[in-house]
Amino acid sequence: MNTKKWLLTLVFLLIVLVGVPWAINASGRWDFYYTLTSVALLSIASAGVWLTFYIGRINIGQGAYTLIGGYASAILVTQLGVNFWLTLPLAGLACAIISVFIGLPILRLRGVYFAMVTLVLTEVARLTALALPITNGAKGIVSIPLPAELSLFGLTIIPDFATLENPKLAFYIAAVIMMVLCYAALYRIVNSRLGHLCRSLQQNEELSASIGVNTAYLRVIAYSISSFMGGVAGASFVSISQSIYPSTFQVVDSVNFMLNCFLGGLGYVLGPMLGTLMLYFGWDLLFTMGKYQLLIYSSLIILLIVLLPNGILSLPLFNKRGGGPK
Amino acid sequence: MRRRILLKSVAAGLLSLGLFSSAAMAANETLKIGFVGVTSGPAASWGISNQRSMETRAAWINETGGFKIGDKTYDIEIVAFDDQKDPKRAIAGMEKMAQEGIHYVVGPNVDDGAAAVRPVAEQNGIMYFPYAFPQSLYTAPASNAVLGMVANYQSGPAIYKYLKAEKGVKKVAFIAANESDPLSQRDGGVKAAKDLGLEVVSDSVTYQVDTTDFMPVLLPVLRTRPDLLVLSGVSPANAPQLIRSAREAGYEGIISTETAQDAQVLKEGAGKLANGFISVGGASTPEMASDMMREFVERYTKMFGEYNDESNTKVYALEYILETIKADPAGITDVEVFKKTMDTFEVANPYMNGDAKMKYVGTSSFGQKRQVAVPLVVNVYEDGEFKTLFVAEVD
Amino acid sequence: MEQILVNGLYLGAQYALIALGLTLIFSLMNVLNFAHGQMYVFGGFVTYTVVAQLGLPFIVGLLLSAVVLGVMGALIEKFLFRPVIARSKREESTMLLAAGIAFFLDAVILLLFGEKQRGIPKIVDGVFNWDFRIVIPYDRILIFVLAISAIVAFIMYMQYSKTGRAMRALAQDRVAAELMGVDVKYYSMIGFALGAMLAGLVGGLLVSITGINLGMGGPASIKAFMMIMIGGAGVISGAIAGGFILGMMESVGLTLLAVYGDITYLVIFVMLMIFLSIRPQGLMGKPWG
Repeated sequence: MNTKKWLLTLVFLLIVLVGVPWAINASGRWDFYYTLTSVALLSIASAGVWLTFYIGRINIGQGAYTLIGGYASAILVTQLGVNFWLTLPLAGLACAIISVFIGLPILRLRGVYFAMVTLVLTEVARLTALALPITNGAKGIVSIPLPAELSLFGLTIIPDFATLENPKLAFYIAAVIMMVLCYAALYRIVNSRLGHLCRSLQQNEELSASIGVNTAYLRVIAYSISSFMGGVAGASFVSISQSIYPSTFQVVDSVNFMLNCFLGGLGYVLGPMLGTLMLYFGWDLLFTMGKYQLLIYSSLIILLIVLLPNGILSLPLFNKRGGGPK
Repeated sequence: MRRRILLKSVAAGLLSLGLFSSAAMAANETLKIGFVGVTSGPAASWGISNQRSMETRAAWINETGGFKIGDKTYDIEIVAFDDQKDPKRAIAGMEKMAQEGIHYVVGPNVDDGAAAVRPVAEQNGIMYFPYAFPQSLYTAPASNAVLGMVANYQSGPAIYKYLKAEKGVKKVAFIAANESDPLSQRDGGVKAAKDLGLEVVSDSVTYQVDTTDFMPVLLPVLRTRPDLLVLSGVSPANAPQLIRSAREAGYEGIISTETAQDAQVLKEGAGKLANGFISVGGASTPEMASDMMREFVERYTKMFGEYNDESNTKVYALEYILETIKADPAGITDVEVFKKTMDTFEVANPYMNGDAKMKYVGTSSFGQKRQVAVPLVVNVYEDGEFKTLFVAEVD
Repeated sequence: MEQILVNGLYLGAQYALIALGLTLIFSLMNVLNFAHGQMYVFGGFVTYTVVAQLGLPFIVGLLLSAVVLGVMGALIEKFLFRPVIARSKREESTMLLAAGIAFFLDAVILLLFGEKQRGIPKIVDGVFNWDFRIVIPYDRILIFVLAISAIVAFIMYMQYSKTGRAMRALAQDRVAAELMGVDVKYYSMIGFALGAMLAGLVGGLLVSITGINLGMGGPASIKAFMMIMIGGAGVISGAIAGGFILGMMESVGLTLLAVYGDITYLVIFVMLMIFLSIRPQGLMGKPWG
């Protein structure tokens, strides 16, 4: 991390935390708050998927963990009265623990086989949520209160969202901060010893196993970090919609998380963030196209991938120093 | 290099598309009414029939000079958002509506979407008319949602009671897709049937909505030999396949559902086998439809090529919104006024013959008037069209 | 019991035919074709248009579905997949392309054919009834026979024709096949076209029984993925086996588990996951497909 990168990060923070709210205020496009909040949260879940790509696994099951995380938070808040902000890490943790048990057997699979099992996993999560009594089955959990105040020694750290004049802005700020933390963590992981080992897994698993890397352990670690991110993202979403149903996250979402990574670029830490922005925001912007919305949207995706098969971040524009994948 | 220019122009195009907002140049002022629902994917026909009903009616109003509210005349513009049956998108859609300054929205079409948009609607002062049945949406403290149709827990008992008395039905079986809406409707139906003293012989069989062969799904149900098979919350796509498979497996009892269906779809999917199938409709059967309803169907068909019978129940929401605003013009921007008007609102139902009224109901189900009074017309399918079986009222 | 087996066989035949096309494309190009289900739906709508709207015989609809989809498949391979595969660093990138095409076809289907469920009149009336032990409508028997003959024809073609041999060589070892003088580009295109054609054919066949609507594509793809996972990805016999096994599982599972209600599918899916963790390459696949 050199000075230049710190500076870039600072600029990014200034843009998203000050620039965007100012622009929204000036233009009066208040609806963009929710769109951008969604982008931030979805890109956290996508970051998890990207990490599993990093160990050479195609993960189409993140929707399962966002759903589990959402339910974990909803149940803790409504039934045990736990503060929402505490349920965030707890939801992530619940997902991480569950993912260890699921990951141990299925992470032995590779390529399309792993991809397909994870695809089935999303459906399993949905059907489980429908069948269990604690999730309230088909009726879902509704009327979940807004995030309550978080204080430490009487000092308010996060105010009660219900008393805020503009909860949209609050949700946006919270989501963006979480996103920045998440990507900072991701960057840290990729550039650590763990990251190097993961990369060796991506390139040749047998080889890294033969030089003494504990591949099974490494895979489970990466997968549970990925699921943690999914859980946090899911829990945050539920606090905005104040309700959760078994269909809140479905197979489509899992597929979208994966597509976000592809579109941004699998070789770049910021790939999933950019991919999410393009795919989610793109759909939103095309809303004025009426019945041609999906046609134009899908044509643009096809065009992008044909022109830039390695993701948007592979554009020379972003790689002036010829650095290639970070 | 060329590629980069192309990309830039694509980006520029995208941007201009997004920022472009249509400026309607008309003499009248424009009143925007929103629609947030599903118009793509497996459940597309629910939302599309909804959106098209609204667009047909709006075009009709505009063509005939606009809609008079107070001393002003308005052109009606429908702003539609496709939520792809995703509650997260539905929230985005509702935000869009708030952004457009819209206070009255029709939709969403399913339970999870309707629950998810509630915070946005309440924060932004939007009344919305979902086609979803959970009672928590309409019971206080919730107050911004108005049920746009007859709920299954209202129509179900009426249908079962009729069949029990008229056709001697004793044993009922339920079958539902393994999704929130149909399962909730099934549970409601089972309760209603038990309350009426009917014997429920099977209520646990479910199917995936993407099932391509219903024989294996139906066999365990039919083995219980029910007199009545209820397809709870069945989508128009699954209904003909279920009916056909049940009949081909030798089932001879009655089949019914509490959702709206389309006669053409039944005809193509099940043909003669669908004869006798009971479903809930609006006011389109020849005996009931007024001249205005007939003209509506005609205009719809002209505009979109083919009518969808699901629209029989979906024609009402927009009419209710406009007429209620008309009753007190202040409601045009103030939903609190609108809510107050709802309590006393009553005008003649223009789509139905006789002295049917448009008014808000729901006191017995929700404790407040949060439902449009759509006539509960129970239809039976016969050779390609629906015939009225009986008509009931919802209080 | 007989009835359950018959249902399973019928379901298996239609599933196997869907899985065949998907596995063919996968074996030749390592592309997981997310748009396979949409191609199947498109095929169904072509047959619907020909039979129900234009009033032509069913067989014309079937043939036209196959041809239209075959041409579509060839074009998609030549102009979309080929350039992307040539230039992408990781071959999984084709998944985004496939998904984009799936969205695109969804949009086209909605605009061209509308949102309603469609079906064509029954081809043959009547129900075969053996003492209420086996009840099966005649049109299902017909479709079953057609599906089986299509599967047999496909296997024969792959086994004995020059094109079929070339494609098998390609599937086994792309580089070696190229060195041996097989025109890889040409046969990839033919293979993709053939896979798409099979999808179109199933769509055409099934529109006469289950009908078709624009939402069936995505779920059909996912089901087909499951079948080729059971049998082993990229193996033709595996796809057939996978199709029949899933068909049987559904038929038997639905009957046995009906009493437990809502968890039937949950059990089926969990069993599939357990099976794959124990046998990662499916029944007859190459390890690490």
